[in-house]
Amino acid sequence: MAVKSLSENETAPDDDTRRTLLRHMLVARGVDEEARRLQKQGVLDLWPSCEGHEAAQVGSALAAGPAATVVPSYREHAVALLRGVTPEELLAQWTGRTFCGWDPHRVRFFPYTMVLAAQTLHAVGYAIGRRMQGLEDFVVVYVGDGATSEGDMSEAMNLAAVESASVLFVVQNNGWAISKPAEEQMRTSVAERARGFGIASAAVPGRDPETVFAACSRAAAHIRGERAPFLVEIRVGRINGHTTADAQEVYRSSDDIARTKAADPVTGYADRLRGQGLVDAAWFAAVETEVREIRERLTKEYA
Amino acid sequence: MTGTVRSPCLAESINTALADLLDQDPRLVLIGEDIGRLGGVFRVTRGLRERFGADRVRDALLAESTIVGQAVGMAMSGLVPVCEIQFDGFTYPAVNQLVTQAARVGGRWNGRISPSLVVRIPTAGGFRGVEHHNDSNEALFARVPGISVACPSTGEDADQILRYAVALGSPVVVYEPIRLYWRRSSPPRSAEPARSPTAARVVRRGTDLTVATYGAITDEVLEAAHDLAPDVDVEVVDLRWVAPLDMDTVLESVGRTGRLLVVHEATKDVGIGAEIAASVAEYGHDALRGPVRRLAPDRRAYPPGDFEKDYMIGVREIRDEVLVMTK
Repeated sequence: MAVKSLSENETAPDDDTRRTLLRHMLVARGVDEEARRLQKQGVLDLWPSCEGHEAAQVGSALAAGPAATVVPSYREHAVALLRGVTPEELLAQWTGRTFCGWDPHRVRFFPYTMVLAAQTLHAVGYAIGRRMQGLEDFVVVYVGDGATSEGDMSEAMNLAAVESASVLFVVQNNGWAISKPAEEQMRTSVAERARGFGIASAAVPGRDPETVFAACSRAAAHIRGERAPFLVEIRVGRINGHTTADAQEVYRSSDDIARTKAADPVTGYADRLRGQGLVDAAWFAAVETEVREIRERLTKEYA
Repeated sequence: MTGTVRSPCLAESINTALADLLDQDPRLVLIGEDIGRLGGVFRVTRGLRERFGADRVRDALLAESTIVGQAVGMAMSGLVPVCEIQFDGFTYPAVNQLVTQAARVGGRWNGRISPSLVVRIPTAGGFRGVEHHNDSNEALFARVPGISVACPSTGEDADQILRYAVALGSPVVVYEPIRLYWRRSSPPRSAEPARSPTAARVVRRGTDLTVATYGAITDEVLEAAHDLAPDVDVEVVDLRWVAPLDMDTVLESVGRTGRLLVVHEATKDVGIGAEIAASVAEYGHDALRGPVRRLAPDRRAYPPGDFEKDYMIGVREIRDEVLVMTK
């Protein structure tokens, strides 16, 4: 499917873009649910679910546009799918077939990096390298709140600042570094920390993809206009455990888990667009058919 | 004593090689602390910033993970980064980027990229360096799949190794002995060329015993060998690389001499000597006239300058060891 890109100053999504946002969120949710089901069956060795992160991922990826090079962490499944990684390719590494199931060049979506924040330095180095070769790329690097404690994250922010590298740091803050809550991880926000390094930044809630889309569109315009980095911190809810191997019930209150599920960005945005008359039953049926076919394909490929 | 011969020093050879490579390949970029304006703390990169510009001879932030981490990204972008770590003992913050990233990127991309990335590391002691300025940690990387580790002991070898490394398509760590950077005279060596860029070099032919060694201490081994002649005829193999190890050359030499001593400056335990001894025990046992022995410092930290002479392996210890093994 085609990925839309916007002109630099346009930040509020139009109706087509809003439907596109929802469609990507629903597809990502379907793939995530199927992956979790396959993991329970023992088909996947592990799955780091992105449920609750969909609005942040789809909103940021759509705002960044198809020309950007994306350097992910390991949970950016909605971004991967939006960039054209097929569901089969996305699941391949979690079934033990490979370390990366897709062609990173074809989709300009680099392999997942399991060692926390190591990819942030790669992203900055890549941006510097492309600029040196006269190929100014716009690089988007994803990192989670827990990984921002790594030294490489601080080093990457400082390097990006002093080199004025064209890098968008997207921090998905889901409030948990596995079992360590955000308030025990940092005394300030990551967005505030970025400003200390000399990087312009914004902090936005991550339940509404339109908010994320607008913030990341402005960030992208800043990066392209100033040829300087920007950091967007997006507060999201982690619906499931860190991975399928993580029993979050051990350390997280049932109330908190219930609240996070109730604030599900996917159902929330679906209800909103339905309420506004932007999508109807036939539209949902078409997406459901697409998702069902994907799930059948995944079962056929891996189960 | 056979005396010494004049030879171009290591720093000059590396400087010339880097200048040639920068000249020939626009993708090549140097990154390191103080390598530009200052020309490096050992002046190995002197004049290169002036000649090739601050963009290609980049004074790095004082952060080793940043140096190697950005180099991984640059390599992904199509450049060929040649990094310099200022001293061996400051390598450790970059180990994560080297071991979990640089070494694995090609495999993770399923061979779709094969980034060349070189990390030059001044190494070893013998110059009264303060703490962390005298380390020899080559064995650490030698056991990491995906990383090649070179330990040249001459400018000629450093030149050949660098030219090979920038085109290899996977990371290479090059250990450059600090005390050889500006040494202009060294014991004479056989002019016999190595069989390949990664092969060891037989730097002295002999019949009674093989010494396998590498790096700065190769000079001490050669001096000991020359001292012992003609009573004991020692063959000296300069390994030049510790990963991959050219065991063929070592085994062929042991096949001729029947005795093997491994000498290195890095501590003995779980070191390169252990690997060589094990391989000879496995594949060259029939040729041995006596047990393989290792001569290397005990497992302890490199000491303060006043004690380094006790720590380091000298010419006398090498001579004594050879005499014990051949008596």
